[in-house]
Amino acid sequence: MAEIACTGVSKLYGDSILAVDGIDLTFVSGRTTALLGPSGCGKSTLLRLIAGLEEPTAGTVSIAGDPPAALCRRGGLSIAFQDPCLLPWLTVARNVALGRKLARQAPDPQRVDQLINLVGLGGFQNARPAALSGGMRQRAAIARALITRPQVLLLDEPFGALDALTRRQLAQDLPPLWQEQDATALLVTHSVDEAVMLADRIVVLSPRPARVIADLAVPLPRPRDPETPAFRRLAGDVLAVLARGGEQAQSLAAQ
Amino acid sequence: MTAASRWAGLAALLALWQGLALAGDGWLLAGPVQVAEWLWSNPGPTGRATAATLGNAAWGFLLGNGAAIGLAGIAALWPRALTLVAGLALVVFCLPLIATGPILRVLMGPGDGPQIVLAALAVYYTTLIPLLAGLRAMPQAWLDLVQSYGRGRWAELVHVRARAALPYLLAGLQISAPAAILGAMVGEFTGAERGLGVLTIRFTRDLDVPALWAAATLAAGLSMAVYAGIGWLGRRALSDPPPVILAAPRPVRGSPARKAAQAALLIGVVLVLWWAAVAGLNPFFARRPPDVAAALLWAPDAAATRATLGAAVAQTAGLALPGYAAGLALGAGLAVLLTLRPGLAAVTVPLAVALRSIPIVTTAPLVVLLLGRGATGTLTLVALMVFFPAFVACQQGLAQAPGPILDLFRSHASGPLRQMLHVRIPAMLPALFASARMTVPAAILAATVIEWLATGQGLGNLMALSASVSDYDMLWLTMVAATLLSALLYWAVAWAEGRVLAVMATEQVRP
Repeated sequence: MAEIACTGVSKLYGDSILAVDGIDLTFVSGRTTALLGPSGCGKSTLLRLIAGLEEPTAGTVSIAGDPPAALCRRGGLSIAFQDPCLLPWLTVARNVALGRKLARQAPDPQRVDQLINLVGLGGFQNARPAALSGGMRQRAAIARALITRPQVLLLDEPFGALDALTRRQLAQDLPPLWQEQDATALLVTHSVDEAVMLADRIVVLSPRPARVIADLAVPLPRPRDPETPAFRRLAGDVLAVLARGGEQAQSLAAQ
Repeated sequence: MTAASRWAGLAALLALWQGLALAGDGWLLAGPVQVAEWLWSNPGPTGRATAATLGNAAWGFLLGNGAAIGLAGIAALWPRALTLVAGLALVVFCLPLIATGPILRVLMGPGDGPQIVLAALAVYYTTLIPLLAGLRAMPQAWLDLVQSYGRGRWAELVHVRARAALPYLLAGLQISAPAAILGAMVGEFTGAERGLGVLTIRFTRDLDVPALWAAATLAAGLSMAVYAGIGWLGRRALSDPPPVILAAPRPVRGSPARKAAQAALLIGVVLVLWWAAVAGLNPFFARRPPDVAAALLWAPDAAATRATLGAAVAQTAGLALPGYAAGLALGAGLAVLLTLRPGLAAVTVPLAVALRSIPIVTTAPLVVLLLGRGATGTLTLVALMVFFPAFVACQQGLAQAPGPILDLFRSHASGPLRQMLHVRIPAMLPALFASARMTVPAAILAATVIEWLATGQGLGNLMALSASVSDYDMLWLTMVAATLLSALLYWAVAWAEGRVLAVMATEQVRP
């Protein structure tokens, strides 16, 4: 079980840029949470703090009671960055397999193949990143994040570069992969539809500095269809919360 | 530029050379036909000399580059060591080969030792600096990826940094291959039994013009061949071409006290290494730091020593600095001209590559032969040494101008000149500064070589003089003075570079 606990987490850059302000959140195993907020609000910073890539200025982050680095060292955490960050000298298959190598896990070519096919890159195993479109690279990066069967999966705008059809397909196909292994999944996005499509819970963040302005459950059955009235109604509600958060922030700034 | 135009350019150059030789009186310039005839009729000595020089250069190349790769790896694994590694590398690179050569000869005796060590010293820096840049030349996200799996600097080095640095390593190796031949030849100047350096000295003394030009052509041909050979290997090993070396010096962070402490540590380590290097050797020639300090500061004739040394430093700096500035200006100017008028490149680029590869010890006698022993010769040689690296770097820098910004200018119907002023020249600045830094020791080396061989002035002459009369205090002092002169000029350029790039190219100064 890899429960993530953020307690009073703040991050200050330099003397004046407060990116994250006093976040108190807990993320439980087997659930997918979307961190939703406007561009530049500090969502990615929060994700980096949870991944242990940055230290909070105040507060603590723990995973299963330990600092994030402990789980990282055990190879139990995977992150798919906003930038696919594939190594240009490796083929798609080797880029995906790199995840296992870095996590000190035994090679598993069969699973590499299976994941590459699942993200729609079948036939591109031996292609290098330069030969792929932005969306294809993004899919390879998602496959790399999943290859280690992580206990904690962090996805930073993973579908940002994908076309609408692929995005919808992956949103149907991918969540079962991490749900079946009871992973704690955190998804950073600014797309309301993506959040409702993928998550069991949506945490809405304010414009910078990131503060929690709403914590909503997504009680829709899977697979989800964005055209259904229930989906649209929930998406509308979330959008309204997001808009109110923006207005509140503006009025606070004006004061 | 196509292969056909490159060959046409080369043919035009050879024709021009032959034409000039025919127009002259035969006392200054031997044409390619004469050179070929001489080489054909003297295969034995030239073959043996070439083999000796190549063998020593190859050993030096291996040792120097091995040291550079090891030190760059240390700096990648322990970033705190970077300041010390880069500082030591600079000091070693600034050691004047002309003075180091005689000292090594005395320390190591006859044989190939000094040639190999000088070749290693000549290549070490030209590989280390690109490699240090290459080990940092990657998006932060690649390192975050490794870190997100809880892996440390070793995994970063193995999985990301080493491979990302490979193009930079190959670029460094390519530049260092001709430098190894230069180092070996300087070593041969200091009393070796065979080698192209030995032949060059003999032919200069004999005023044997065809033989001198033949030795120079052979040395240049060898340098160009190893340069082209490593370039070819690099192209085979990498699908992408080697990058331009643009990384600015990493700014030293921290308070003035911390910077002063780092400088003091560097000086301390240099002095300890110096002491260690001469330990156990005869103090008559293996002078230690206190001996040299005494000779300069408190020995009975210290005032005279200071006056002699000061005058020599002033003479060397007085010619090296204007030559250096002229070389940089000409290199950048020609690069700009060729970007505006690309048709001229067919002739100038092969010439640039050829002259870039020629060891200075062969250029110097030819420059003296053509321009005499006055200030013009020194200025020209220094400018030549600086001109070609600056030209090549600036040309690549100009090509780095971001395409979308050029498109933006084109969409407003801006002409090539306006694009040059507003986009290409700012994009070229990092390359210009990088070459300006790298060529500082080369400028001082050029000035001391020509002073040593021809002008009878400055630090180079003082080095030759003190070596010949066994005044080892003065010889070590000239070495320290030339090293300090190079290092101070280098740091001055690096300081200016940091200031300019912080405004013009912020992405280049990020650590």
